[in-house]
This record gives sequence, structure tokens and C-alpha cells, in this order.
Amino acid sequence: MGFTGLALGAMLHRDGIARAATTGVWTPPDGKPHFAPKAKRVIWLFMIGGASQMESFDPKPELNKYAGKKFADTPHAGVLTNPLVKQNLREVIAGLHKTHAFIYPLQVGYKKRGQSGIEVSDWFPHVGECIDDIAVIRSMWTTDNNHGAQIQFHTGRHSLEGQFPTLGSWIHYGLGSLNDNLPQFVVLGEPIDTCCGGVGAHGASYLGPEHNGVQLNVDAKNPLLFATPSISPEEQRREFELLHELNGIAGARYPDDPAMRARIKSYELAFRMQTAVPEVMRFSTESEATRRMYGLDQDVTRPFGEICLAARRLAETGVRFVQVFHGQNGGAGKWDAHSNLKKGHTELCAQTDKPVAGLLRDLKQRGMFDDTLVVWCTEFGRTPGCQGTNGRDHHPYGFSIWMAGAGVKGGTVHGATDELGFHAVEHRHYVTDLHATVLHLLGLDARRLEVPGRKRLEIDFGAPVREVMA
Amino acid sequence: MRLGVFVLTAVLAQASVPVIANKCAGCHSGASPRGNLDVTTREALLRGGSRGPAVVPGNASASLIYKAAAHQAEPHMPMGAPKLASQDLESLAAWINSGAHFEQPVKATAPTHWAYQAPRKAQAPAGIPARWSANPVDAFVAAGHKQKNVQPVEPADPRTLIRRAYLDLTGVPPTAAQVEQFAADPSAAAYTRVVDQLLQDPRYGERWGRHWMDIWRYSDWYGWRKAGDVRFSARHIWRWRDWIVEALNSDKSYAAMIREMLAGDEIDPGNPDVVRATGFLARQYHKYDRDGWMQDAVDHTALAFLGTTLKCARCHDHKYDPLSQKEYYQFRAFFEPYNIRTDRVPGEVDVTKAGLARVFDAELDTPTYLYIRGDVKAPDRAASLDPAVPGAMGGRVAPIEPVSLPQSAYYPDNRAFVHQDLLAQAKADLERAETELRKAKESSAAAEKIQAAEKSLAAAKAFVPALQARIAADRAKFADPPDPKYEDLAAAAKKAEREAGILKADAEVFSAMLDLNEARAKAKPGSVADEKAVTAAFKRVNDAQSALTQPAGEGGYTPVGKQYPDRSSGRRLALANWIAANANPLTARVAVNHIWARHFGKPLVASVFDFGLNGKRPSHPELLDWLAVEFMESGWSMKKLHRLLLTSETYKMASTSGIGDHPSARTDPENIALWRMNSRRMEAEIVRDAILSVSGVMDPAMGGPDLDEGKGFDVYRRSIYFRHSPDTQMEFLRTFDMASPAECYERNESVVPQQALALANSKLSRDQSRALAKKIREAHPQPEAFARAAFETILGRPPTGEELPLAAKAQPENLVHVLFNHNDFITIR
Repeated sequence: MGFTGLALGAMLHRDGIARAATTGVWTPPDGKPHFAPKAKRVIWLFMIGGASQMESFDPKPELNKYAGKKFADTPHAGVLTNPLVKQNLREVIAGLHKTHAFIYPLQVGYKKRGQSGIEVSDWFPHVGECIDDIAVIRSMWTTDNNHGAQIQFHTGRHSLEGQFPTLGSWIHYGLGSLNDNLPQFVVLGEPIDTCCGGVGAHGASYLGPEHNGVQLNVDAKNPLLFATPSISPEEQRREFELLHELNGIAGARYPDDPAMRARIKSYELAFRMQTAVPEVMRFSTESEATRRMYGLDQDVTRPFGEICLAARRLAETGVRFVQVFHGQNGGAGKWDAHSNLKKGHTELCAQTDKPVAGLLRDLKQRGMFDDTLVVWCTEFGRTPGCQGTNGRDHHPYGFSIWMAGAGVKGGTVHGATDELGFHAVEHRHYVTDLHATVLHLLGLDARRLEVPGRKRLEIDFGAPVREVMA
Repeated sequence: MRLGVFVLTAVLAQASVPVIANKCAGCHSGASPRGNLDVTTREALLRGGSRGPAVVPGNASASLIYKAAAHQAEPHMPMGAPKLASQDLESLAAWINSGAHFEQPVKATAPTHWAYQAPRKAQAPAGIPARWSANPVDAFVAAGHKQKNVQPVEPADPRTLIRRAYLDLTGVPPTAAQVEQFAADPSAAAYTRVVDQLLQDPRYGERWGRHWMDIWRYSDWYGWRKAGDVRFSARHIWRWRDWIVEALNSDKSYAAMIREMLAGDEIDPGNPDVVRATGFLARQYHKYDRDGWMQDAVDHTALAFLGTTLKCARCHDHKYDPLSQKEYYQFRAFFEPYNIRTDRVPGEVDVTKAGLARVFDAELDTPTYLYIRGDVKAPDRAASLDPAVPGAMGGRVAPIEPVSLPQSAYYPDNRAFVHQDLLAQAKADLERAETELRKAKESSAAAEKIQAAEKSLAAAKAFVPALQARIAADRAKFADPPDPKYEDLAAAAKKAEREAGILKADAEVFSAMLDLNEARAKAKPGSVADEKAVTAAFKRVNDAQSALTQPAGEGGYTPVGKQYPDRSSGRRLALANWIAANANPLTARVAVNHIWARHFGKPLVASVFDFGLNGKRPSHPELLDWLAVEFMESGWSMKKLHRLLLTSETYKMASTSGIGDHPSARTDPENIALWRMNSRRMEAEIVRDAILSVSGVMDPAMGGPDLDEGKGFDVYRRSIYFRHSPDTQMEFLRTFDMASPAECYERNESVVPQQALALANSKLSRDQSRALAKKIREAHPQPEAFARAAFETILGRPPTGEELPLAAKAQPENLVHVLFNHNDFITIR
């Protein structure tokens, strides 16, 4: 059930935007990929606070060998004096997160897993079973050693430079809709706190509010407020059609008002969302086996399991980009293991491991793995040093993320950190390389996404990581 | 020759050091200098910072410090401040070229950060076109147009302008008649008349009250609501909200508002109308965390009034601003003695039902310690800190003088109305006991029940004279001069209270025994619940008996109420006077910026709560300062400031160029230079209020206790009056980005489909569409006339030729509903 009205493009044809398009200077995206895509949609899993690379996907036995020793007293003393320590770092607070002197041993064991034999820590037994479908990148780096890195991970820009469009909003901007009933960019889980970027981490900044991520509740009882019209569908359809026409006529007088365009679109979407969203959040059609796959039968895994299941259902229904957050705690995030790393990470992994693995398995069993890209990521890693007695500090110099699904070469490890897991030393990738990879798999060229008056910098574009592509 | 060089070097050293001291060392010195660069010694300069060595002795043009200062290399220095004067640059270059020798290490002079300097009224720029030169606001803005090479757009059409002014000042749109009246005479004089009239409208206080409630973090109490357990904020905090509305409507000076909110109890302690302003501090209450409470008081006082993130200095020296950790705790010391209480108000003795939430200094001797690394478990007990204000902001607090309080403040229950209310209640209790006994007798209840009622009556009867005796004794005790009869009255009160107490305990024992017997008789063997009931009844009997047999206290009679310290420390008053002084460089700027932001859709200083070194520079520094000084010179009158802003050409501009590729949109897409007005979406409260107002059902009643947030669609009061706390918010309002009660210095303005659903599907818009359609149809039954009237009523403009036929085709109720959902309805153009 939809309502037909003037297409937005037609409506704006009277105004300067359409005229500008004919001057040959610049044309807005036509919603089509720039080249043949491998992926149709993305599920982006973001662990808030900074998950440890050394206790997840990047084993470093040297840490155990030199546990408790000063870096300076080991053959790896060079990591601290490596020019990389200063080279890319841009501190918000100078000296707040210093490198720590003593080496902290691994807090968890590792096993080789799958055919590929890639080592995954014992805190991720379920994801470990899926390793042959996963490409791990162990050589990520970023420039902020504080949690502004959260918004930076999504925009590619240091928080001191302000807010910029996020990856999801670029995709929303660049690609047409996969369905007419749901927002194309959905946010699940509690987004990051205002300390670290807030809604900016799923915002569209200068692309305009219509490209912002839309937050939905994973709650069948209350998926969406005010979703029930008090008039018949037919009467409501007529109202929305009239509204659309009147807004279009009035809107032509304000061609420079992005909020107006966003509002018109929000009504088109709202009309269809009111039935589609509750439908997606109703899990009654899911089998017991599927529910168990996501851990819905266990208290520990249920909350994140429901989010992962909702992500799959949204993806299945045609949402382009589902941005999932885990670990919001009203501050820097639960993964921020300055102390009690072992206890904290054990719990957080227990909450997420099975649901994430469930998501991968479920996508496979539904044949969605071929055109759905899954990304697991976090703003930075943790230091190989010891903070206090049992924690690890922030670490922007080298950390791990992984990708799976559409266009991804499973069972791959790409890039490497040094023997302590300190610096990314082989195939170093700034966060926008990940953006470029995601865009590439969706058939988009980051360099062709630009808006007049908003010069993008070289660092914004990144380069696709071809080695992890199938 | 050699001597000559030496002398020259020394002279140059002297000449250059002031440049470094004045322009660089403010940030580049201390424990954590910016960019790790310390400029205070030669060694440090040679070592350099994160960008490498800062000075190459003998070679200025290769020295980073010079290149940055000469704007030959990024980052241009001084950061965010004007480039150095050419003679300063020359002396810096000469000094480096001559070897960069120091006579002695440089000492950072007083920080030069713009926001810590007193604002000055610059001469309004000259050579401005006539349209932009009458109002100084416009002259500054026009100078910016020229500088940024943008062309301002034309003035808004009269209908747009008048709707903008109404919504900005009162939060409700004008009626169709008001719009047409102005459209008929849109002269500047007519416009100014409307502005003046709107500033006199009591709805102004409600509209702007909500703005200031955002900034002052208004929240109704929250905690465990079902159990009435107040864990944050305070009961009856709405009296502070009413104070805000009234203060704004009476154009109380902003300086006085600050003083009363921080220290109303010290300024006019006997006046509940003033004391209620201290709700600002009562709101910071944490039941379980005194340190969290103190933190909130410190942090939000600094954020709201000073635009300062003092909070960052709680665990360590501030990383950007010249604020030490010690200064954080010295600032806390102003608040250390304060606590909150609820005073009785006339007509209600139960303070959980009605009362005045207020602050007072409870503990005048509590020391303030610095918490090492912010750890509340690690107070530095070596030194107790006295109150002081951050040195960087200039000024010093006046000597702190304790304030001696009137009796009505330190013994509020000795006020006549409290005595009257307590006596009235005692008499009502007595009447109730009489009725109970009569009823028991009439219904021929069991003998024990009658006996119990008789005992209750006896107790109630004795309570009245006992209360009277206690009141008499209290009055004598606090009489000025002391009443010589006090000793006798106290003895009499003691005796009467004792007698009444025995009767009350006797009645209580008896009724408890009855309950116990009943519980025992009813108890089924083995029933846990019944066993519990028996145990509880037994405990009641025991308690009552022990009350009965307790010896009379040493201290005589029980005073009628609680007595508080008879002096206040005067600390908060001193702080308030410092914040609200004309000499404070931040206060007026921060306030003017907030007011500007709410009229123009964008602040002059983007970081509205951070005017520090990490904050944003003003887009129009001279304008901001001019306004700040003008504001203070006008006696901190907000209404004068509103008038000044609203009658400017800048305010009157259209919000659109009418074309999509206006050249200024390319030069300045963010509209920093204000070449057009910013269009805005109505805030959450205004969406709801506008619907109710347009449909003519708005209840204009002002003030009073917070209303149930669940009744927003059925109770037609303004949104400001509904309960608003982290736990309790009207969902409709939340959908439209209402203020977070925890902190909101600027509203978010999202566009999400959920808002469309709220406007399309909520009971509010449906009910009001129905009602309004009916009303309009009565006057305009013809479809075209109806459509025209609906447009004028809801959007404040007639339909265009293109819109009219479409609108006239629709069913009346549908059209009204559609127009409530129209983008032009919720947009302030």
C-alpha cells in the first residue's frame, strides 16, 4: 500500500537544483551504483568503547613471554620510540593517554579454528566457528586516542574537525532504495553517547537530515510510536496524497531548504513504515531453531540476539544499511577496558558472540550471505601495556576489525601488527579504507560522492582493501 | 663590536619575550601545553612539540613558531585569534635571527583568550548601506556580508515575518485576523508595535521560560515515583518554573535572576517569592550521592551562566582552559554548605502534598577538599579549600559575609499561618474522632470498637490544647525580646504534651490489641500470611506500650517544627554577585548568545556552553561584544534585547533566497555570515501548543503543579506545565526532540518519519482537526471559502491559485488535518 504523488525530482524540477544539474558542473546521485556491486546491503556491528585486538583476533604470544616486563627491557623496546607513535596521533587532550611502561599478558587463550586455521580467542567460540567465512583485518589505525574516535570511525574525520557525513549516510545518499516501506538507514541498539559524537555517529551532517540513520526499537510491543492511524487506510492514503501535493507546491518556493525535502520524504516513509516496522519487529514467524541460533533462549544473549535478529529481518525486508551498536553505558562505552579487562570482555563477548555468529549462520541458511555484507568493528584497540593492575588503555596505533559475507574472501587474515600488537606494520589501513571497501562492494566509488561547496580531502576517500575481496 | 652584539641581543630578548609571553604562553606552557609545545624556555623551544622543533636559532624563516605566527604554515597562530601585529612579527623574527636567547624563562601572562577579556562596544562599522545602518546589529552583520562576500536576501513577506515574531516571542502562531491586520499595514512602525505588544503578552514568559528551563536543566522530581521516593530534583520544583515565567514577564534583570537562583535565600530570606528561585540549586539534589549533587551544582552553574566546562577540571587541571583542579574545588566550596528542604505553604501542613522547595545553608563548617584524581575516596585532607573563583576569568569575589537570617527563615514553622494550619488540622482530627465515635455508637458496633473510638477521641481532644501550649511556648521562646513567661509556658507545654501523648499511646495500644486479637482469631494454622499479620499486630502493641511507658524527655516539650541555622554562609551570594557583575567577561556574552540562537536559529558562538579555548570562536565577535555590553548597559533587560534583535533588518530577512543556487549559498552554505534568516522547525512544545492554539482550545491558565505527562492530548494547558523528568516525558514531545532534562543547552532539530507519524496518527492532531474543521465550517460552509480560511488559520497565509483547487476538493476535516501536517505549519520561516 503506497500513495502516489509527484516524484520528488519532478517536484523540484522547477527550482535551481534541477537547473544546476543541467549545467554539467555536478549532478546529484541517480541512485544507481557506479559499477557492478557485490553487496546489496550492510549490517554494521559497532562495539562501543574499544574492543581489545589482542584478546579477540590478533594473538600475541610475545605478551605472555614478556609479561610484567618493561617494554624498554625487551627486544621490542622499539615500539615506544617508533615514529608511528607520534606520526598519526592527534590528541584531544595532550598526554592524557600515555603509553604504559609494563607489558600486560594475554587475558585469554587462542585456538586455531576452521579450515583456515585462523586463530580466534576463546572468548569468541561461536564467531570462531564461522572464521572460514570471515576476513580479519589486523592492521587498522586511527588518529584520536580518545573516544572521539567513535564518531571518527563513522565519518573518517577527527572529532576536532567537526561533524561530517557518516558512512551510512553516504550510502543512503548514493544509492536508491531497496524497498518502499522502511528507512534505508536504520540504527539499532543504543547509539553512542554525546561524549563521543552522539547522534553524529549515525548522522548525515551536510548531506541533510533526510540521510540520517533512523533509530528503531527492537520491541514488538512498542516498535514505533504512533503507528496506528485512527482513520481508514483509504482515507489516510488520500490525506497523504493531498499533503504530498501541497508540500510539493509550497516546497518549490524553498529550494534551498533541505529540511523541507527531508520532511516530504519522511512522510512518504512514515506512511509505509506504520505497517512495515511492527511487522519486522514481530519475531513470531521465526522458528525455534532460528531463535536459539541467536541465543534468544538465554538471558545473557537475548538482548543482543534480538537486535541481531532484527537486523537480519530489516536487511531481508530491504534496509540498505543497518548500524548496530553494542555497549552503550552513558559514557565512553562498555568495551572501554581501563580496568578489569578480563571480567569485562568476558561478559561482553558472552553477550555478543553467539548472536553475531547466529547472524552469520542465519544469513547463510537464507542465501543472504551472498549479497549481505557484515562488518564487526570498534573505534580503536587496547594497549599491549598494562594500565593500573588489570586493564588496557586506548590504542589507536593498531587494531582489528572483520568483514564477512558479500564479496568478502572468507578465511583470510589481512595486515598485521608488530609482535606485541602495538603498531599496525603491514598493510596499514586508516578507517576510511574500510569505508572505501564497503562502498566498493556496494558498487560505489567514494571519490564520486561529493557535494558542491563541500570539498572532501584525500583522507576522506580511503582506498578499498582489495586483498579481502573475493 | 662584541659588546655591541651582546647588548643588541639582550634588548631583542626583552623585546621578544613579551610577544611570546602575551600571545603564546597562555596555551603553550604548564603541565600539559597545547601541542606538547612549551615556549617558556629556550631549551623547550628547541626541543619543540608534536610538530617538531619550534625554533631554529638564527633562522626565523625556518622556525615553526615564526612561520605559524606569520601564517606561512599551518596551524596559524595564535589559534583562533587575530594575526600578530607586524611590529610583533618583526621583533619575533629579529629575536630568532639573533639566536633566540632568553634572559630568563618566560612567565605566561594573564591569559589572552578572547572570552576572558571584558567585552567592549566597538564603534558600529561605517559605510554600510542605509537599510543596514540604523540598527547597530545590522551594521555589524552587514560588515560581515561585505567581508564574506555574500549578498543578503530581501526582507521576508509580512505574513512570514509576523508569524515568525509571534512564534518566537509567545510560542503560538498569530490568528488569521492578526496576520491580515499586519499584512494590511506592514510598516516598520506597525511591526515594532506588534513586537512591543508581544513582549507584554504573558505567553512571552512561558515561551522563553521553556528556553531558560532547558539551559537551567529544569526537571520535575524523579526517583521511585510509585513509592513517592524523591531521588533527584525536588517535590514542588514547579514553583521555580513559575518564578522563571513571572521573572521573564516582569523583565526582571538577568543579573537579579542569577543572584536569586543561586542565593535567593540569602538575598531576601523571608520572602518565599524570592526563595523559590533557588529551585535552580534544589534541582541538583541527589538523594544518595552528595558528591554527585555537588558536581551537578558546580558543573551546571559554570555551563549555564559562564559557558565554561569547569567540569573537566574535576579530576585534573583543565586540558584546554586555564582552570586548575584546585580551582574546581574552590568553586565547589561556594556550594558546600547548602542543602535543600521543603517549607510549608499556607493551606497545607503535609509537605509532600504542597510546599516550597528551596535551599539553605545547613552545614556551615563542612570543609571542602580536593579529590585526588577526582576520586571521592581520596580527599586531600592536607588543606581545606576556601571558596574562590577561577583566576583566569578575572575579578575576585567580594569578602564573604555571613548573612543573619530572620526567624521566618530559620524557624519557618513558627510563622502564624503554620500555627493556624496545624491547629485547623488538629481540630479537624478532633471532629473526625467525634464522628467516628458517633457512627460506632449508632451502628451499635461491638463494645471494644466503641471503646477504641472513645480513646481516640480522648487523644484527639488532648492534642489540641497540647498543640496550643507548644505554639504558645514556641512563640514566647522566639519572641523579641524573649518573653519572660517562656519557662512557665514551656513547662505547661511539656505537661500538656505528656498528657496528650499518654492518651494517644493508650488509644494506640488499645487499637493495636484489637488488631492483634482479630488477627489471631482470623489466623488459619500454617498460613504464613496470617502469621505475619499477627506478628505485625503484636509489634504494634509493643511499640505503643513502650511509647506509653517511656519517661518524659529531659528537653521539655517538642517544638512545633524543625529549626535551621540562623545564619547563612553568604558564600553563594558572593558567587552570584561575581557571576552577575558587569565586570564578569563571560556572563553577558553567554546569555546574549543563547538569546541570539533562539531568535536566529544559530548561535554566534557555536559551542554555546563552552566559551573556553576549545570552544568555537564567535562568528561575529564585535557584534557579540556589542550586544553583551548593550545588554548590561540596559540593566540586563531581556525584553530590551529581544526588541533590539527583532526590529533589526537581520531578523526581518527572508529565510530563503527563493532559488536553489544563490551565489551566497555557494560562498557560505552554512549561512555563517547571516545573508538570510535561518528557517527552523518548531520545538516540541510549540508543535503541540500551536495545534491547540490554532484550534482555539488552549487553556490560558498559567502556573501551578506539574500536570500528568500522560494527559497531554486531553488537557489543553501549555506544554511547559506538564511533568518533565528523565523518567516522565510526554512521548509526543520527545519525538520532536524536547529538551533532555539532564542537560540541554541547545535543542536538536531532527527530521524523522516518527514525527510524521506523531502528527498524522496522534489523538492530538485528529481531535483538533475535527474540532477546528467544525468551527471553520460554521463560518465558511463553501468549500473554497473553507479552504481559504483553513490556510489562513493554520498556516497564516492564503492558499495560492495552485493550492486552492486541490484544497477545496478535500473533506474539511481531512484538509485541516493535512494542514496541521504541512511543512509550513511546523516550520518557522
